[in-house]
Amino acid sequence: MTHALDMIPAARQAPAAAPETARRPWAGLLLPLALLGPSLVFLALFTYWPVVEVVWDATHEVTRRGTRFVGLANFAALFADPTFQRALLNNALYAVGTVVPSLILALAFALALNGAGRVRALMRAVFFLPVMIPLVAAAALFLFLFLPGIGLIDHHLARLGFAGANWLGDPDLALGAITVLTVWKNAGYYMLFILAGLQAIPDEAKEAALLDGAGPWQRLRYVTLPGLRPTFAFVGVIALLNAVTQVDHVFVLTKGGPSDATKLLLFYIYEQAAERYDAGRAAAATVVTLGLLAALTALSLSRSQGPEASR
Amino acid sequence: MISWWKGAALALVAVAGLAAPRAAHATDIELFFPVPVDGALARNMSGLIKEFNDSHPDIKAIPVFTGSYDDTLLKTRAAIKAGKPPAAVIMSANFLTDLSIEREIAPMDDLIAKDGKTPEAFMGQFFPALLPNAVIDRKVYGVPFHNSTPLLYINADHFKEAGLDPDKPPRTWAELSDAARKLTKREGDRTTRWGLMMPSNYDYGGWILEALTMSNGGRYYNEEYGGEVYYDTPTMLGALTFWSDLVHKAKVHPAGEQKGPAVTGAFLAGQASMMIISTGSLTFIRDTAKFPFRVAFVPMNVRQAVPIGGASLVQPTGLSPEKRAAGWTLIQWLTSPEKSGWWSRATGYFAPNKAAYDLPEMKAFLEKNPDAKIAVDQLANAKPWFATYRTVPVRKAIEDELQAVLSGKRQPKEALAAAQKAADALMRPYVEDTALRLPGAE
Repeated sequence: MTHALDMIPAARQAPAAAPETARRPWAGLLLPLALLGPSLVFLALFTYWPVVEVVWDATHEVTRRGTRFVGLANFAALFADPTFQRALLNNALYAVGTVVPSLILALAFALALNGAGRVRALMRAVFFLPVMIPLVAAAALFLFLFLPGIGLIDHHLARLGFAGANWLGDPDLALGAITVLTVWKNAGYYMLFILAGLQAIPDEAKEAALLDGAGPWQRLRYVTLPGLRPTFAFVGVIALLNAVTQVDHVFVLTKGGPSDATKLLLFYIYEQAAERYDAGRAAAATVVTLGLLAALTALSLSRSQGPEASR
Repeated sequence: MISWWKGAALALVAVAGLAAPRAAHATDIELFFPVPVDGALARNMSGLIKEFNDSHPDIKAIPVFTGSYDDTLLKTRAAIKAGKPPAAVIMSANFLTDLSIEREIAPMDDLIAKDGKTPEAFMGQFFPALLPNAVIDRKVYGVPFHNSTPLLYINADHFKEAGLDPDKPPRTWAELSDAARKLTKREGDRTTRWGLMMPSNYDYGGWILEALTMSNGGRYYNEEYGGEVYYDTPTMLGALTFWSDLVHKAKVHPAGEQKGPAVTGAFLAGQASMMIISTGSLTFIRDTAKFPFRVAFVPMNVRQAVPIGGASLVQPTGLSPEKRAAGWTLIQWLTSPEKSGWWSRATGYFAPNKAAYDLPEMKAFLEKNPDAKIAVDQLANAKPWFATYRTVPVRKAIEDELQAVLSGKRQPKEALAAAQKAADALMRPYVEDTALRLPGAE
């Protein structure tokens, strides 16, 4: 890399130039490289090298008779696997089911609790509380809430005269149960970002809207929401990442069951790698998942940057 | 000056001399142990290991809690891959076949020979039903530590209330479903008490289904060869249909997947009158139940038969000779009649070492707790536990379908065909490398 950069200015400059200017690009690069060096080493070790290895794994097959290059065969097998299709669908449903409600709830909390006052500060703390509980602990807690018959939810439903349900054991309900837990856990976290976003909306805009006689709904629709647009884009990406990268509660509550109903992509990858010893398919699924995630993130961030840049 | 120097040196030598024997000879070893059933097993294990360390100053054993049986397999494999295998693992007995196929655990025949015993004499200490899951290809891969069978637990009060005799628990499937019908209570369309509950979560579900299949005359898998399971068979179809009918036709068993703790919880809360779960939970149920209960053999349809459950002590490959020897000392200590018996009384698992039942404290215990004796008596009907190449995913293949059937998503017949297909695909690499690797094909 340094070699190539070294060549460009040298070629541009006249051969008669003093040796010190020819040396300058080197000198100019040395300091930043030295400063970046430690991070680059760690990035290479823990980010880029694993990426290379995942791609290598994804294109090879390890069998009892040895390892061989198989090209895209792992990907073909992956897309043909009905369990993977199910995991993709589950994860899509789970992403929509967690991101949309938690963002709406976060917005509602933020709008209601924006501003000074003891009660508001207390309520903000209350809504933020679930964020501080580790996901594993929260899941262990919900295990008891969701217990059929004797759990807290069914207990109170029975007092009201309703039949309870087998929340985690019914394939139609399990993913919903996991989604509810995630929304409960994350809404407070996203509220924090939106509260910060609300501070960034200039007071003049709000005052102007008030003077023009805009009602509360119009102020929300034409002033607050457009002002929150970059915040939403950012929080949306974070929420999307969470929907793919956090599966602690699946481990604790359902282990992907019953009958694959809560099998999310990351859990699928874990199963392929750790239980089936199929490193090739696990790596292929990782590549597909990360590719999807990168594409969605890029799309969502570029859309949010659009009006910002043109302003 | 010189005298001060000499004094200091002498003191140093003295301190080093005191410290040296320990530092040089105490072998640090790790024991991975799971906690698969309810109760205070982790605390009991810490106490047991402390006792071992106190009586063996040259070994320092560290108990490492590794979660469920499935998690323990995973963590052991991770430790082996990382080059730091534990010296001993309490491993679910049905994973030994897969681990030996992958050469991840070492046979112990040489250690047994070093003690001047033959493998047959050494393994002769244990109940014969446990051997098929411990001795593979005539080599000793595991020493049984704690074992179980599924057992029928009944609430005696509910039985009396429903006009049934609690001292004559159901012995056949007909009696079981009849009793379950009489014990179930409803308020409108809401069931307030279930006649029978059986766990169907991963690991537990496959085991209970195996018990029903064996009670129906089935074999479940090929005990001699790790590449065959018998999912799509009449015996299993009968077993799965029986369970499905209890849920969907008789409506005496709740629908959907039931986790082990949910089943014991419902039984203890009086919301289920009967349950079939492991003998390993017996002590927990005895200590927790606020009502009289009885236990009985798993009811049969064709014959009386149940799979064993529980775990054996194994040693991973790649251990240093010192650690291997220290681990072997620990394994022998843990499986001795005294310790085996103590652990059995603490947990409810039966003691695999037959001599444990000749000890006076065990005799006194069984006198006081006749239910524990029933668990041991059922061993006469016990068969080996489902073990194949890639046991966990092959087992999950049937468990996913079991859960689908219990949730009303699939009919038993099509579920079994799908499970068989999935299991065959998983075992394919092993089958191609063994049974289908034919001369002249290469």
